[in-house]
Amino acid sequence: MTLDQLLRQGAVTEIVGPLCSGRTSLLAACLREVARAGGAAALIDADDAFDPASASRAGADLRRVLWVRCGGRRDAALRAADLLVRCPGFALVALDVGESPPRVSLAQAFRLRLAVRRGGAALIVVARRRVLGAGATLVVETRRRGLAWAGPRLTPTRLAGAETAVSVLRRQGAEAGGGGVMAWSA
Amino acid sequence: MSRFACVRVPHFVAAAVERVEPALSERPLAIVAGAPPATRVVEANGAARERGVLPGLTDAEARARCPGLVRRPLADEVGASARHALLEACLGVSPRVEDAGAGLVHVDIAGLGRLIGPDAAVGERLLRAARAVGLEARVGIAGSRAAARVAARLGARVNVVPPGGERRALGAAALAELELPEELAQTFRRWGLGTLGELAALPRAGVAARLGAPGLSAHDLACGQDREPFRAWAPPPFWEEAQGLEWELDALPALEAVLGRVLARLATRLEAARLWADALDVRLELAPGGHHTRAVALAAPMGEVRPMLTLLVLDLEAHPPPAPVVGVSVSARVVPRRAVAAGLWERSVPTVRDLAAVLTRLAALVGQARVGAAVLGDSHRPDAHTLGPFDPTPAGARELSEGAGVPGALVLRRLRPPREVAVETDAAGRPATVRGATSAEARVVTCAGPWRSSGEWWDGRAWARDEWDVALSDGALCRLARDERTGCWALDGVYD
Repeated sequence: MTLDQLLRQGAVTEIVGPLCSGRTSLLAACLREVARAGGAAALIDADDAFDPASASRAGADLRRVLWVRCGGRRDAALRAADLLVRCPGFALVALDVGESPPRVSLAQAFRLRLAVRRGGAALIVVARRRVLGAGATLVVETRRRGLAWAGPRLTPTRLAGAETAVSVLRRQGAEAGGGGVMAWSA
Repeated sequence: MSRFACVRVPHFVAAAVERVEPALSERPLAIVAGAPPATRVVEANGAARERGVLPGLTDAEARARCPGLVRRPLADEVGASARHALLEACLGVSPRVEDAGAGLVHVDIAGLGRLIGPDAAVGERLLRAARAVGLEARVGIAGSRAAARVAARLGARVNVVPPGGERRALGAAALAELELPEELAQTFRRWGLGTLGELAALPRAGVAARLGAPGLSAHDLACGQDREPFRAWAPPPFWEEAQGLEWELDALPALEAVLGRVLARLATRLEAARLWADALDVRLELAPGGHHTRAVALAAPMGEVRPMLTLLVLDLEAHPPPAPVVGVSVSARVVPRRAVAAGLWERSVPTVRDLAAVLTRLAALVGQARVGAAVLGDSHRPDAHTLGPFDPTPAGARELSEGAGVPGALVLRRLRPPREVAVETDAAGRPATVRGATSAEARVVTCAGPWRSSGEWWDGRAWARDEWDVALSDGALCRLARDERTGCWALDGVYD
């Protein structure tokens, strides 16, 4: 699978996984792809956890990313996502709810999915666990495979990167687990 | 060769009110001033004049002559708005215009022939420009401003006097067309003068000796000669439209309708001058006295009525006026319009209208200071950034970061504010155990560092710290920082 599959217009994608598994780095890569194509993106940051400096180093064009800081308010984050997916012109709307995802009813999830389909943006939800249930078109899970350190082996001087495995948990129209695996180095 | 056009709006004060309330243009309208019972008519539109309502009549007499007469109080701001609108409309046709009085504009049209066409076409263009700002005008074109001014009162709506033919064309016009002061007009009548040609035939020195400056001015007008220099008008530094109300508005939907009309007029003026509004200042006159003012910063420069109206209404919903409203005025802070054509292969971005509306709603939801595009600060201080305006248009983000950054670089999830943690170090001073980071206690598996940084020691906000990237036994990958001045450890964030 490729990043293009995560950025499909009118589709809802969930990136789930434990902390430090590479979810945010994968999202930053998506932001980079959108910027390269000349599109605009919105990032709804439920926990004020977005780090512009490291995202910029990862290639995200911050001028093309609308950053909405919700200060820990999950309800505000969901309402902001609902507003943004209805605004035509955004290539990507990312909702980062981090470690404590909100409860979303199935009806709400399908309404959001319908709004995304009509608005034409790609909605990516980053969370520890699944949020939208059957409302998601694609669900991928990230797992950290390993770390790369630079410098002497016993006393490394810097963190060079991490390798992440991305596996498909759900793809609409396909059987669970049958979507393939992407190795992701960050 | 000089060529001037004179744009004249008949019964200007009434026309200014009709511009504010277009439905009145079909009805007899009188503008009145003064407190009852001394209220008098100061201006009347064409329909009212046909029914015998003339300036100077008392209010009671005017109503007696025309039972269906609509009366409106004289409002200086309405007239001023219309006067500015007319000047700006003419400025869109020629760069040299002169404010010759209320509803009267002189336009230097020399050289416009190659751009627009013959004089008649220029006159039509001026008529259309005036109509676009809600004013029905007449245009006279001649070799001098004085002759053009007379021509604007005679003949067709666009009256072109051929070069050199001013005396012949205008000589037969009645003196009453000059609207001279009554005393001067009586003197000319006693002298037996009836037309401009007869006045122009009098010796100038003789007229000056008998009538002084007013007589000379009338003689120059009759001769079609300009004695005063052309005083070019420059647009004012403010853009304002206003509307007074006869009734009190205490509901937002009704106020929205009035604001919509005021904004429509303002947007038309901005359109004529190729400008966008960057911010709007709303001033609501309250029934008990006083004003309710709001400054609304638009999310992006714009000239469209609907998004501006949406933003104003959203702001007034959040900050409603404390009393019924009896007057509305809106002024705009303007910026030059930016014309940028999008590339054929460029991705679409949100339109200004959609973006402005969604940004305003987001600001209402999470706060104005929490929405925008991140701008990295020119500092090594951790988390040095600000939020700037979000402008995803190709002009706003022209230099695309093609290939910028390191693809796939690790991204940090910051903790704001950083969480204090307890760290035990080994003999070499490297972190060995961390308590209170992502679990109660975790052993450091691998760590990299320290990355030492400091700054701003010169202005009292000094900071100095060592940063460590650590992999913990619970699987977390963190960035720890030790404050060099206090010796405290903090968890800056986790790599994810």
